[in-house]
Amino acid sequence: MVEIKSVNFSTMSINLNINTDVLNSSESSKMHLLPFHIDHEGPANVSKYFTSYMKSSPSDENGLEASFRGLPLKGKVIPVPEGYKGLVFTETNPNQIEDNQRNFFLKNKFTDITYWNYDKLPSSNDAFVSALDWIHISDVIHSEVDDEEVTES
Amino acid sequence: MEQVHTVSNLPEIERCIVSNDNSSNLLIGSVIPEICKGQPCVLGIDEAGRGPVLGPMVYGTAYCPVDNNEELLKKLGCADSKALTEKKRDDILESIFKETNWLGWMVEIISPNVICNSMLRRQKYSLNEVSHDSAIGLIRNVIDAGVNVREVFVDTVGPPESYKRKLSEIFPELKITVASKADALFPIVGAASICAKVSRDLALKLWKFMEGIEVEAWGSGYPGDPVTKKFLSENIDPVFGFPQLVRFSWSTASKILKEKAVLVEGDEIDDDEEDENKTTRAITSFFKPKAEPMDTQTTPTVDRHIFFKERCLQVCNSL
Repeated sequence: MVEIKSVNFSTMSINLNINTDVLNSSESSKMHLLPFHIDHEGPANVSKYFTSYMKSSPSDENGLEASFRGLPLKGKVIPVPEGYKGLVFTETNPNQIEDNQRNFFLKNKFTDITYWNYDKLPSSNDAFVSALDWIHISDVIHSEVDDEEVTES
Repeated sequence: MEQVHTVSNLPEIERCIVSNDNSSNLLIGSVIPEICKGQPCVLGIDEAGRGPVLGPMVYGTAYCPVDNNEELLKKLGCADSKALTEKKRDDILESIFKETNWLGWMVEIISPNVICNSMLRRQKYSLNEVSHDSAIGLIRNVIDAGVNVREVFVDTVGPPESYKRKLSEIFPELKITVASKADALFPIVGAASICAKVSRDLALKLWKFMEGIEVEAWGSGYPGDPVTKKFLSENIDPVFGFPQLVRFSWSTASKILKEKAVLVEGDEIDDDEEDENKTTRAITSFFKPKAEPMDTQTTPTVDRHIFFKERCLQVCNSL
């Protein structure tokens, strides 16, 4: 079954075609975020060339080590925040946009991202890691305020 | 330092190499001869596989009692490994293996991945430093195993004077000689050189590709070898470049990737050529007043709070 959810922007709307089989399946994909811009779109031999050499870090029990084209990388697994789902969408034909409507199709889901830095263990100093703070702060500042709490303070 | 795998013949060395994860280093050595724990010993150090673009670099050491060592080692045929044929080297190594009661050895096989990672890390760590540290590690391992080392002969890497000073500071109690072509001058270095060279050749020949690629031959690893050239031009993954047998930090390898693999950009990827072309700013340019923004017609943009800036968060208006 496919559910369609629309996201409306000022200039266009995006239809998210969510295949519930993919959404509810127990399989999730492995996501790696590398600190480079790689000029390539499409499949890559990740399991043969990258994850086959992945090791746990000798200096940090949650840390990971790997190499990309000889460059040393250090990484950590970062879970998708609670209450959220990690989803991967693809657009079949980005050149054919009709009535400012775009169609995205759910391809995969994920429960965590392995975040890699060049020769430095990821920490809360990394923008990506600390960006997730916003989710909690946003929850707090947008939640309803109890009248009594306001008058008390 | 990693654990030493004790072996006593060539097939055992082969087994060690094959069972090791080839992205990390491997230490292999003989049983320590009892006599070396008592009598004053001489220790020699040499490397193999420094120049090639493929495979590990190997550091080797051999040690034995000082007494009469040159004569005994010459009898075994210990000399510069490069001047010997492969068959001759294997034969001499076999005879080294037989002299278990007075002659010991140890090699460190330094993975090409470790070499690349060292040379390409944030704080650059040169091949010379990798080499020096391996030599220091071998001396320390042999001493820690109980060998009564008194004299050390090392084939130099870089200027011999500063290398000697570095070693003397770490091992002040040892009599240290650092020389170029030490393998031809001192039989104990010749013995170390044979251990290193045979191990390097084995490690290259027995390489297992974790990338799951099928390759018939990759040659000697020297950039001029036509088999190596062919291997490099035919085994390029557009994203990941080469399998980890290749030393990415060699210009031979990086030039090929620049031409044949997809472009990868990041702050850490040096472009040496660009650096050379950087022009120096004229000194007067530092004194020019900064141009004031005159354009008041454009709508002022609201500066986002530092919280969002630091986290690279922006409002998404479209995709």
